Amino acid sequence: MIPMENFLLLSAVLFAIGFYGVLARRSAILILISVELMLAGVAINFVTFATYLDSQAFSGAIFALFVITVAAAEVGLALGIVLRIFRERQTANVDEVDTLKW
Amino acid sequence: MLDRLPLPSQFDRIIVQGSIVAGMLGTPILVVLLALLLLSRISAPEFVFWLDATVVIAGALGAVLLRNIVHAALALIATLLGVAGIFLLLANEFIALVQVLVYGGGVTILLLFGLMLTNAQDEPVVSDGSQKPFAFGVAVIIGGLFIAAVIDANWGARVPAVVSFTAFGERLFRDFLIPVILIAILLDIALSGAFVNARRSRDEDEMAPTGGEARS
Repeated sequence: MIPMENFLLLSAVLFAIGFYGVLARRSAILILISVELMLAGVAINFVTFATYLDSQAFSGAIFALFVITVAAAEVGLALGIVLRIFRERQTANVDEVDTLKW
Repeated sequence: MLDRLPLPSQFDRIIVQGSIVAGMLGTPILVVLLALLLLSRISAPEFVFWLDATVVIAGALGAVLLRNIVHAALALIATLLGVAGIFLLLANEFIALVQVLVYGGGVTILLLFGLMLTNAQDEPVVSDGSQKPFAFGVAVIIGGLFIAAVIDANWGARVPAVVSFTAFGERLFRDFLIPVILIAILLDIALSGAFVNARRSRDEDEMAPTGGEARS
């Protein structure tokens, strides 16, 4: 049987990689991709705890389902915003969208 | 609009090159894992787990580090399908199926679509920001904290339990009915919001008529 720690370590590594991407990338869509990685790590964590520690109620698995759903909504909405920004400014680079920067 | 989309042949080339790179990098790991399996150092489920974890981590690194954004998006697909495999290993088929349908199908297509409509053709190769070392440091600290916490904690030897479709559906639609309805409303609002946001307004159409470009 696979130890529970394996899954938790995998999710931690995935989260850290996604975090790096969010901070290091400059293209808005690549930042979105990195956020997806972080969310995948979180979902693995949820399902792991649901399967190993809470096999009767498995609330974590339900929460993972909600995480996936909200992530899908988020991607749709964020892409709409990115397309809008691209049409207005001809760029999807977040460093150049700095009108509100003080 | 159409001339901005990459040709299918380009995608073929990307996929073939990606497969070659993945094969070259993956074969040594596969050999090592097979050796461990044959020497009975790891069990069969663990073998599958490490194989899947390799795909997930390699895809994630590709999605974060590759300079070509289309390559990064394709690496993300590998990661998300690998995560679906992880859910299968966690004995939760339903989440795995949802992962394949929503992420493997919907989200990646949406992301590729977004890449094509913004800058895939004009500048497919992007450079990352100057905050890379800072980002690396923060990511290492956060990952290290999580890993230390996981290693430090002791949950004992737990046995995973299979979550059946029936039990999952009963729990979801009986105990979590209101959250499901709220999620439905959220999806509705988000998708109509995305449409209204990305749509070209009538004024913009009149002000900037754009040749053969399709009205979105």
